[in-house]
Amino acid sequence: MRDSRRDSEGGLPRVLLIGVDHRCAPIELREKLAYSEDETGELLRSLQESPDITEACLVSTCNRTEIYLLPQHEAEAYRTGFERVFLERASEIEAEGRFYVKRGQEAVRHLFEVASGLQSMVLGEPEILGQVRRSALTAEELEASGTVLRRLMRGAVAAGGRARNDTAIGSGAISFGYAIVDLARSIFSRLDSCSVLLLGAGETARQVARNLLERGARELVVANRGSRRLEEFQQLFPQSRAIPYEDRHQALQASDLVVACTGADQPILYRDDFERAMSSRKARPLLAADLGVPRNLDPAAGDLDNLFLQDVDSLEQLIAQNLRKRRDEIPRVQEILDRELAIFTSWYRGLAAEPLVAQLQKQIEHIRQREVANSRRHFPEETHDNLDRLTRSLVRKILHHPSTHLRSNDSPDYRQLEAVRQLFRLDDD
Amino acid sequence: MDLVLRIAVVLLPLLYALVAAAYGWLFVADHPLPRKFARPLFHFTLGLHLGYLILLTIRWQQFPYATVSQALSATAFAVAVVYAFVEWHGKASSTGFLILSIAGLLEVLSSLLRTPDPPYREIFHNPLFSTHAGFGLLGYAAFAVAAGYGILFLRVYHEIKRRRFSVFFGKLPPLEVLERMMVGSLITGFVALAGAVVSGAIWAEQLFEGAWLRDPKILFTVATWAFYGLALTLRRLRHWHGRQTAIASLAGFVAVLFSLIAVNFFLTDLHGFH
Repeated sequence: MRDSRRDSEGGLPRVLLIGVDHRCAPIELREKLAYSEDETGELLRSLQESPDITEACLVSTCNRTEIYLLPQHEAEAYRTGFERVFLERASEIEAEGRFYVKRGQEAVRHLFEVASGLQSMVLGEPEILGQVRRSALTAEELEASGTVLRRLMRGAVAAGGRARNDTAIGSGAISFGYAIVDLARSIFSRLDSCSVLLLGAGETARQVARNLLERGARELVVANRGSRRLEEFQQLFPQSRAIPYEDRHQALQASDLVVACTGADQPILYRDDFERAMSSRKARPLLAADLGVPRNLDPAAGDLDNLFLQDVDSLEQLIAQNLRKRRDEIPRVQEILDRELAIFTSWYRGLAAEPLVAQLQKQIEHIRQREVANSRRHFPEETHDNLDRLTRSLVRKILHHPSTHLRSNDSPDYRQLEAVRQLFRLDDD
Repeated sequence: MDLVLRIAVVLLPLLYALVAAAYGWLFVADHPLPRKFARPLFHFTLGLHLGYLILLTIRWQQFPYATVSQALSATAFAVAVVYAFVEWHGKASSTGFLILSIAGLLEVLSSLLRTPDPPYREIFHNPLFSTHAGFGLLGYAAFAVAAGYGILFLRVYHEIKRRRFSVFFGKLPPLEVLERMMVGSLITGFVALAGAVVSGAIWAEQLFEGAWLRDPKILFTVATWAFYGLALTLRRLRHWHGRQTAIASLAGFVAVLFSLIAVNFFLTDLHGFH
């Protein structure tokens, strides 16, 4: 059987991708197919044992599981990969439309899009780049990825990083927590010098706390009506300081940012509370974000000077605007991916040409040596060195352009390589 | 020297346009390229502008306020100097586009209005008067920049307050930084105007022996200076917050404009430069 690694389209390796993501698989299926780090290692080791697979790399996140293979024999590699990665864990994956298969250029481009966040459930979300980077490292450490997949994964990480740095694909908040961070950053010069008061300790409060701490907030004070949730919250965020719920009014005076997300059916802080707090804060502004429905913070407080009161509607408006901005960036990200794809393609073409060039040089050198040896007796002995130098220089000059051309970025195509192989009968060796 | 000056007249507006474009790019896309080059290019332009003004002084043997063109160039330089200071003070460069576009526009006008031979004006030979004029220019430029930051501050303030987020949301520096830049400009303006008033008073006393005290321009300038001083004092002692300071900086700048336009043209006696 022909070696499928060389059966390339458009100069790209015949990478095989089998995957599931949030678009085609429900969460129950994605959960079954999510691989921990240990499980990833075990899986890659088992795939390495297969004679049909040359290289392998697994990308597994909460929203996707994708196996990238460089097959020795494509049909067998597909069967092995599909069975071991997917079928053994979730037989229901065989239902139509539950997974996708991509090959060659399509698979490579897909990986680049994954790394840049274009394939994410939340467009441009930042975590995926780190996850792809970790997947690449794991495959490298286990030597499951070789020359091609290693370079491909590195290329994807570079493309993702460039897309993130050079475009606004990851800019602007698209969750309540990050929207509050954005608002705080448009008021305060440093988030790490802000004192945060969190009213509530439920899931929303945890998400907000996570986002705030991730983005540099340090001082986190939390108040909650019930003690059980508060304890759980403190276990999750040991750096936070809990205060009795009744002390929230005093805590307000020392806070720069207050986030309310309780299930209370009436305001837990009134305009008077804010007015008192503002008068004791001198000139320091206060950002108050109300994530409660019904509202937790008295809307009448919104007209106080230097107090910025936000509610769910205003935060949602900000998020929608940021999502629009991200969508507008997609063409610029695609341009970056095109460039990165071209870099990878030219590297791969060079990789394919290199052994051929070496073989060509070896063959010509062999001919040169043979001819010089045959003709040497016709020349005086003192000229033998010059004869050697002359013929070597002649051969080098003749081969210079073809070698450079074969290695160059824009060429060769595979027909050209094949032609060189036939013309110089390089396979006859 | 004339050739160098002629080259500078063409080069400076181009450089300012380039600087404004780099800062504009930074403002719109926060791209790594302008992040790397905008500030060094601006500082280079500023250095070149300083060199140009020094050469102009040497060439015509008088300080460069003798023509509208020279005064505009000196004003552009003052605006750029104030911006360089507040950029350093506020550690934020995303507003450079707005302020340096104004400096660039002034420099373009200066080049367009250039006259080959500026008239000889005795007054511009007096170092005391030139110090007075230089301080005055710097002070007014600083108040203009402060007013600019006041507008930006009020815009961001109301945007967040009214929960109507424009496409510029998140592109401008935070309110605290805008406030710092505004106050930095106000202090610069206040100190420079103090310098202008003191040096002007010494110079006028030598020439007019007390008569200058009745000049409406001087009285109005001192009142404006006192207003700014009061605003800065209230900010310090009564904890005026950013919005109040921004409104004061705008009110002060209206007074500055009034002083420059109405008082200068219709009321003044000594500042008519007849």
